[in-house]
Amino acid sequence: MARKWLGIALTGILASSLAACGGNNEGNASPSASSAPSGTGAASSSPAASPAASQAEPVKLNFWTPDRGATDHIKAEIARYNETNKDNIQVEVNIMAENYDQQLDIAFASNQAPDIVRVNGLPSLSVFVKKGYLAPLDDLLTPDMKERFGSLLREGVNQIGGKTYTLPNYGTTQRLIYNVELFEKAGIKEPPKTLQEMIDVAKKLTAAGKADGAYGIAGNLKSTGSGLRFADPIGMLSGMGSSGYDYKKGAFDFAQLKPIIEAYRQMKLDGSFIPGVEQLDIDPLRAQFAEGKIGMYVSTASEPLVYKNQFPAKIKWASALPPTIDGQQRGIVPVGNAGIFIGLSPKSEHKEEAWKFIEWMYSDEVLKSYQEDGVGLSVVPSVIAKAGKPEINGIDGFMPTKFDAIIPPVPIIAIEGMGYQEALIKYILVGGDLDAVIKDLNARYNAALDKAKASGEVKAEPMPDFDLSQLQGTLAK
Amino acid sequence: MHRTRIKLEAVAFTLPSLLLTLALGIYPIFWAIRYMFYEYAGYGTPKFVGLYNFERLYHDERFWNAVTNTLVYAGGKLLVTLPLSLLLAVLLNRRMRGAGLFKTIFFMPTVLSASVMSIVFYVIFNSYNGMLNQLLQQIGLSRGVEWLGANYAMLTMILIAIWGAVGNYMLLFLAGLQGIPRDIYESASIDGARPVQQFFYITIPMLGPVLQMVMLLAITVSLKGYESIMVLTQGGPFGKTDVMFLYVYKMFFPVASTTAEVQQYGYGSAVGFAAALLIGAVTLIYFYASKKLNSLY
Repeated sequence: MARKWLGIALTGILASSLAACGGNNEGNASPSASSAPSGTGAASSSPAASPAASQAEPVKLNFWTPDRGATDHIKAEIARYNETNKDNIQVEVNIMAENYDQQLDIAFASNQAPDIVRVNGLPSLSVFVKKGYLAPLDDLLTPDMKERFGSLLREGVNQIGGKTYTLPNYGTTQRLIYNVELFEKAGIKEPPKTLQEMIDVAKKLTAAGKADGAYGIAGNLKSTGSGLRFADPIGMLSGMGSSGYDYKKGAFDFAQLKPIIEAYRQMKLDGSFIPGVEQLDIDPLRAQFAEGKIGMYVSTASEPLVYKNQFPAKIKWASALPPTIDGQQRGIVPVGNAGIFIGLSPKSEHKEEAWKFIEWMYSDEVLKSYQEDGVGLSVVPSVIAKAGKPEINGIDGFMPTKFDAIIPPVPIIAIEGMGYQEALIKYILVGGDLDAVIKDLNARYNAALDKAKASGEVKAEPMPDFDLSQLQGTLAK
Repeated sequence: MHRTRIKLEAVAFTLPSLLLTLALGIYPIFWAIRYMFYEYAGYGTPKFVGLYNFERLYHDERFWNAVTNTLVYAGGKLLVTLPLSLLLAVLLNRRMRGAGLFKTIFFMPTVLSASVMSIVFYVIFNSYNGMLNQLLQQIGLSRGVEWLGANYAMLTMILIAIWGAVGNYMLLFLAGLQGIPRDIYESASIDGARPVQQFFYITIPMLGPVLQMVMLLAITVSLKGYESIMVLTQGGPFGKTDVMFLYVYKMFFPVASTTAEVQQYGYGSAVGFAAALLIGAVTLIYFYASKKLNSLY
């Protein structure tokens, strides 16, 4: 009898521990139930015991961010604030693992919204404002803040409808990242400057490295959201618009990307891509690069920190400006997420305290630490003047040059059918009629744009005088 | 008085589940039915568009691609899972050494997280340095197969689905088998019936109701499944493994916030409704077929 009860107890413990890990849906699957974001997978930093706790109950603030790559830095900063602020404020930070936007949706819908919200991308800025997740900051900005951030405030970048909802902190420059050792082995002296050189270099790198399992080029082509991350740095440095959007015409024209897509298709036909590239996410790609199995790829200034902590690089690597279509640098390389950082929730019950915290976070001292700890490269002039260079191998090549700039936003629209990244990645991998693909994309994207413009959701006026070369030198000389 | 108390108790016990069912089961259905006729991105005022979402659905190649993929995925999974789980159940129903251990091993995938296991399967199946390809290369069978590439991704997804489902259905079959009196088999043996004859003339007919229930469950679950696909391929490469409910999911939760894609609740609801109708139709066909099965036995 005792054994029976012991068995039941053990079964119960086993079942509950396995259930805690999640559940396979066989037998009781419900997509709605299983797809609902469950838990945050969050790294949570509890407020430290306040020295003032004995005097008065501290004001507790919640700060949500998806910046898990900067977990250590953020936690350290928050702990410092909790220990040093004189306003009896304690901030608890939740660093989300996945589905940040959906977690916010649920939190706001259920009146559990955080007081401070990280704006994690330009599309999110516009959507968060429309959903009422961000309060305008204009009346709260101090003269000092207006002076320090004023030159970086732009419609669609950190302002919507003329109101400021967030301020800039750091951005991520984008570069061609290359395996110096494989370049040397293949007898290549410098990174490619044109697309044709890129094709040739990829072929040579593959020839030199294939016996050891190394290939010339890679991309995170599994991702339908960021798999084409090489297109804008190459295209915009060549002088064209962003994400297929032509600022001059105020319309989408994917024909701009044709030379880049054809070059990548050629590299695929040459066998220069690492095998299995169609299923490669960015992290598995980085893991292979760190092992020396990839010759080059285009990515962001996040990489030096990744190759320091996440996947310590076993090879010597460096970065350079991406190639252009014909070697002429007629434009700039866009700095990712440069105009946005954190904002204030209009639902916060402690707006005054939350703003005090936000003000502290936007102080030069704190912003400086983001650059010096290698989280990102500052785009705020007063911070750039003070901040030291992060001590991370490989960061030198990512420091802002005159070719790095914050770009105007691309209209956010609801398209029907396959997105442009997926459609063009498909062409790179399996070929087909690129002109037909471009024609279809242009038709669908412009129809969606016209619809969004007609409904008043989007303003996308042609800018006939727009010239990317005029953005050169706006961040660094 | 006594009767009133019983009624009150019944209401008290039923109410919590009733409320939960209404809030989490019924309300979302009506919500989705309403939004099928709207365009709504999750903010602002939803715009009434009549039947436009259904017109769009009719012309949406990606949706029909997802329907085809769903049928291939579910069909492939069921064709192997059901016979295999029945076979395993029959084998493990015999009084054999280690049956308990095998039951545990086969059932284990059912209680493991589909998402976590999908990541493990990535380590096994990824074409560049996956364990399976390394093994195939070492024994000289292949120079590497792109298991998650355009040609094999669906096959790989089906294999993973079979792995995840066999143990569960095996257990249900086992429960059914244990309800069949042993003396029937003993009488059949005395009459000279061979094991194969016993299987077809005793096991299958006696298992009838369980078999019908398991098949119904298996069909609906297979047509709705998408979790491991979402983790492993996100429906790719370029839609080769996109299934109906993954497509619905993407409409409600665009995969990456860096894309210029916005939530499309209205169209997502229409797709979800159409997917539910399709599953309902397949289930009805099954009901009709199972009635025929009843008349056969």
